[in-house]
Amino acid sequence: MLSRSSLSRNAPRALSAGRRAMASAANPSFQYDVTEAAGVKVANREVAGPTGTLALVAKAGSRYQPFPGFADALEKFAFKTTLKRSALRITREVELLGGEISSTHSRENVVLRAKFLANDLPYFTELLAEVASQPKFADHELNEVVSHLLKYNQQAAFSNPENVALDAAHGVAFHRGLGSPVTPSPSSPYEKYLSADALAKYAKDAYAKSNVALVATGPNSADVSKWVGQFFKDLPTGTTDSQYKVQPSAASQYFGGEQRIASKIGNAVVIAFPGSSAFGTAGYKAEASVLAALLGGESTIKWTPGFSLLSQATKGFNQLYVSTKNLAYSDAGLFTVTLSGQAEQVGAASKNVVDALKKAAAGEVSSEDIKKAAALAKFRALESVQTLETGLEATGSGLIHGAKPYQIGEIAQAIEKVSEQQVKEVAKSFLTGKATLVSVGDVFHLPYAEDLGLTV
Amino acid sequence: MSAPSIANYVVKRPWLKRWMTPIAQWYTDAAGYRRLGLKIDDLIPEESETVQKAIKRLSSKEAYDRVFRIRRAVQCSISHTLLPPHEQTKPEEDVEYLSPIIREIEKEAKEREDLDNLVVRK
Repeated sequence: MLSRSSLSRNAPRALSAGRRAMASAANPSFQYDVTEAAGVKVANREVAGPTGTLALVAKAGSRYQPFPGFADALEKFAFKTTLKRSALRITREVELLGGEISSTHSRENVVLRAKFLANDLPYFTELLAEVASQPKFADHELNEVVSHLLKYNQQAAFSNPENVALDAAHGVAFHRGLGSPVTPSPSSPYEKYLSADALAKYAKDAYAKSNVALVATGPNSADVSKWVGQFFKDLPTGTTDSQYKVQPSAASQYFGGEQRIASKIGNAVVIAFPGSSAFGTAGYKAEASVLAALLGGESTIKWTPGFSLLSQATKGFNQLYVSTKNLAYSDAGLFTVTLSGQAEQVGAASKNVVDALKKAAAGEVSSEDIKKAAALAKFRALESVQTLETGLEATGSGLIHGAKPYQIGEIAQAIEKVSEQQVKEVAKSFLTGKATLVSVGDVFHLPYAEDLGLTV
Repeated sequence: MSAPSIANYVVKRPWLKRWMTPIAQWYTDAAGYRRLGLKIDDLIPEESETVQKAIKRLSSKEAYDRVFRIRRAVQCSISHTLLPPHEQTKPEEDVEYLSPIIREIEKEAKEREDLDNLVVRK
């Protein structure tokens, strides 16, 4: 328990910390050391402690896949049988060492992760290198294991109305590339493209040296680059079959539009606008993340709707969930407001979203609220980098896409510089430009863009 | 599924292999399955989990051909006839197509058993 005296002693300190510039430059443990070992980019954050993590980030997510479902299947094939070890042996060995291995994929990246006791770094570096450079891609493994995992994954993804709406919003906004679904729809004929041979060819390109980055946190940077240099020498150099190459990234273009999907899984509306791309790229706009925090919808504090415009505007709806996010990618971003819940309430509340946006554009927001939003945006940006799950991918993605790794201090500074005028401008540009509107569920109650006063 | 075999013993000794090969070829041909259009792996008893799994892992073409050969052989057997010579299996066609998969599955099962009975000494 904190005693009252310690609270009162710390309170002034907490206040002054807000005014002081971010102390990251003085605190080197938050910075990533970037080196190159055996031709592979390695970023390590030195964190003193008994455990470590290592992640391999490959630029091979659904945006870059040659055919639907490839990124998904590549993710599911991670840590399966390699030329040296069977999948069972990998699992048992990792269990013996007390580590954790997992793989995920997003629109841009396929990420293989390992968490372990710091002493086991060499073993897990070797394991990741083996998975990337010598996978077996057995036909029977695809048929007996991976294809089932793909189906379960689809069922999970497509039984969530918000997810369906968000996926469709990307499709409407970006068409191909970033618009291709993260998980292929269960009703799409993706199976005809999948074969173990094709995946093996894709993997050769996906895990090529120039296409991956390694991100680690652990007690010793020198160790990481030493072991990576030793084990990652044999990464493939690319595939010769042009059909299965990692697709070149044409610059994302925003289109916008409207889509209505009748469904029984629930109701969701996504209202989206061209947002800010990831930190460190040309399209980065700190004000978009401040506006996202200002519109908000989710409260960060229990038992109160919070200060954000949307949570204030939708106070009266008790069966509604609203959240605003800026989804940042390497060369584009999507600013999304997601509403889900009961159909009538979702329909009515989507009108409130546009009203709130108009308020922000007209500058009818108190500067107090904008300050709160900036503080929240800063916290979210910093926290997402500090949290391992999101931070590893963001850092790796930054490295492969040619930009720099996330450096905490600079993000904080960028957000601190955002002025009220900038927030107003970005809200105005949303209202005048083309919007994206996706309604999923009971479309009888859900609005058309015209009803909301949005141009699509 | 395998009967005791001296094949490995023979193969390791080239002189013995040279001496035995013609006899083995004569014996295989005399077994008669080739005259019904079968391959050696078609004779493996199916009634075990391992073989069932192996059959599932065949490519669709191989699985189709296997069923075709077996049905044709059953038909021959019922009608007490042999296939015309050009339809009979030629020695060079008579290759293992199922046994490698069976060996792989047996290896997997053995590995699983070994790992299940693993003793960790530190």
